[in-house]
Amino acid sequence: MTDIPRDVPPPSALPEAVAPRASTDSRPAMQVTGLAKRFGQKVAVEGLDLVVPTGSFYGLVGPNGAGKTTTLSMATGLLRPDAGTVDIHGVDVWTHPVEAKKLIGNLADGVRLFDRLTGEQLVTYTGMMFGLTREEVGARTADLLQIMDLTEAAGTPVVDYSAGMTKKVALACALVHAPRLLVLDEPFESVDPVSAANIEDILRGYTTSGGTVIVSSHSMDLVQRMCDHVAVIAQGRLLASGTVDEVRGGQTLQDRFVELVGGRHHAEGPQWLRQS
Amino acid sequence: MVATVLRIRFRVLGNTLSRSPMQLVGFIFGVIGAVWMLFLAGVGLFFVGTLDLDIARAVVTFAGAVLTLGWVVGPIFAAGLDTTLDPAKLAPFPMTTRQMMVAITAGGLTGVPGITTAIGSLAVFLVWVRYPAAAVAAVVCVPLGVVICVVASRAVAALAAGIGGGRRTREVVGLVGFALVIFASPLFVGVTNLLFSASEQGAQLQTVVSALSWTPVAAAWAVPGDLAAGAWITGLLKLVIATATLALLWVLWRRSLAASLVGPPARAARRRRSGSLGWFGVMPSNPVGATWARSLTSWTRDFRYLRQLLLIPFAPVLVLVYSRGDLDGPFFAASGLLVGFFAGILAYTDVSYDGTAFATVLQTGIRGRADRLGRMLGSATVSIPLVLLADVVTLAIVGKWELLPAVIGGSLGLTLVGLGVSAVSSALLVVPTPAPGDSPFKRVPGSTFTMFLAFFLCWALVAVLALPAVIPAVMAVFFGVTGAGWVSLAIGLVWGAVVFAVGVLIGGKRFDAGAPTLLAQLRAFQGA
Repeated sequence: MTDIPRDVPPPSALPEAVAPRASTDSRPAMQVTGLAKRFGQKVAVEGLDLVVPTGSFYGLVGPNGAGKTTTLSMATGLLRPDAGTVDIHGVDVWTHPVEAKKLIGNLADGVRLFDRLTGEQLVTYTGMMFGLTREEVGARTADLLQIMDLTEAAGTPVVDYSAGMTKKVALACALVHAPRLLVLDEPFESVDPVSAANIEDILRGYTTSGGTVIVSSHSMDLVQRMCDHVAVIAQGRLLASGTVDEVRGGQTLQDRFVELVGGRHHAEGPQWLRQS
Repeated sequence: MVATVLRIRFRVLGNTLSRSPMQLVGFIFGVIGAVWMLFLAGVGLFFVGTLDLDIARAVVTFAGAVLTLGWVVGPIFAAGLDTTLDPAKLAPFPMTTRQMMVAITAGGLTGVPGITTAIGSLAVFLVWVRYPAAAVAAVVCVPLGVVICVVASRAVAALAAGIGGGRRTREVVGLVGFALVIFASPLFVGVTNLLFSASEQGAQLQTVVSALSWTPVAAAWAVPGDLAAGAWITGLLKLVIATATLALLWVLWRRSLAASLVGPPARAARRRRSGSLGWFGVMPSNPVGATWARSLTSWTRDFRYLRQLLLIPFAPVLVLVYSRGDLDGPFFAASGLLVGFFAGILAYTDVSYDGTAFATVLQTGIRGRADRLGRMLGSATVSIPLVLLADVVTLAIVGKWELLPAVIGGSLGLTLVGLGVSAVSSALLVVPTPAPGDSPFKRVPGSTFTMFLAFFLCWALVAVLALPAVIPAVMAVFFGVTGAGWVSLAIGLVWGAVVFAVGVLIGGKRFDAGAPTLLAQLRAFQGA
């Protein structure tokens, strides 16, 4: 997956302007080495190593509280790690944050947006922050709102969007500067199936044209279907990583995940909860 | 059920305090302040009891009125309402609206202000101990007065938060209510001044207080005094007024609470035509322009920012009240300086209002100085015209146009210095703020003593750094030194611009180093 020929045409779902520059770069899109973070007594991430090949569609899975969001925050320059380094296409995130962040499109989980802006203003704002020209910003914003099915709601303040629409506008913001790496924390949470399928097409097209996508998710089915690589983390440690087929080894990803992480109960629930 | 809720309330308080030592310090300071006020009230009322009955009645009635108004107005200026027992949090539990209201009232009574009020009001018995009829009446009336305080504060907050359906309506009503309360309070101070000056003459005091004793805020506190004086009929009528007040507040509160429980913040389905980018279409397409446009959009549309802008007309009004309506003296003419002082420092913790949306800023990899410059330009774009307007209007009122250069120089100097200080302080400091659209009455959990300290430090810093511009302005306005006004204008603009630029550079460096820490703190506030 690391060798993408230059002549792959951008897929129809992805507007030309947003397609990443095709890369012959042999360095991994993201290389995480010895990443560690603790909050007080609690260890959130403990010596995590991760290599995300360029052009891969990489799934990051783990149980609740495994450290997925913490890891992705540190990898995208939002949370300072206690130890370890993160390189994005060879650029160290924490020594050259400005250069590294230009390569990343980030959909963070559990943060607000500037929700008093309209959807159109928010995407425009993000484009301007990355220093795109006014023409570029205008064209890309229109494209992205159309892809995300938000053209109707372009003039509505984001605070009045539904949860799924908010996710979509955040995704549009992550795409507007045509990053080489997309880091998406729970991108499909509360997104309706039709929009999810549309977004999936866009992301697939993006990786075929040389972009790299990292998604964190709780949905094993989704990861098994969409991703070509996967990493399983629990309690801040890497339990397994590689291509999806390598990791699941003949089982479904769901079963393999439960086997790796453990903690599955086989019970019908407490007696008092049963209705008959 | 009520007891269970109260147990939860104290559990939450205990957990919060044990988790954060600085909050414990703030809490202890609050308790010390409360004990000190109790001591003063006790000693004061003891001596009042030994005085003439008329004076004792007047003092108790007036103190009761101040206490009740304090409960209603206090949350806005000081700590805000304790939202540990928020109706929205209690809604999922199987309790009736009445049980919920009893629980919230009981929670209000058992907080530090509630306990202080309850103990303090017991001191009223020190006054009435010599009048048996009054003492008996006080057994009923003092608890009534205290409960009115608590219920009034909750009812007003619920009303301010719950009127109207749409988000926009609610926000506008909240802003108007906030403005009314802010502008009513100097009037209240004015009335107090009037009272004290009247008491010097000893004549009108009685009339004013007896009029006050018929109002809902003081009726309950006036009853024992009336009985002590043998005025049984008026005492009884005031007891009826007080009871009716409580009943009315209860009904209003109940109604807005019931409405807010089943109809939580509604979504406004209002749309603006697409393609209207507002400020984003005007500003240059680069990080500074983007930040500037966003900041300006917040200053003109976000009600949390608009509430701060209300301080600007508030300053001259405040000066007018404290100078007892004296338009001819130098104080009102110089009130533009106070406006400039407030206006510059408004953005002292600008990043706080981003909330976790600050992540969007951070992930664009913006350079610190671009961020600082954009934010401060946004703040300046609204505050500088307002400062100039305030300068011109106040001077037009007093008709002293010759002071214009001095006042403009001093006020703009203060504003620019304030912006420069804000550029640094807002890169170092975030404080918990209400989320966009929250009620202005709502207390934000996690405010600590250190934050107040930092706030006053910023104010002091602005005051000191702006001295080069303020001193000539003061010389011109207060001592009529000719030529000092133009000196003030020149120094104000040049020195102000220098401090502004240096602030942006230093703040930018701090931002580059510390922005992820700010985001981590903002996340913690959101979780709190």
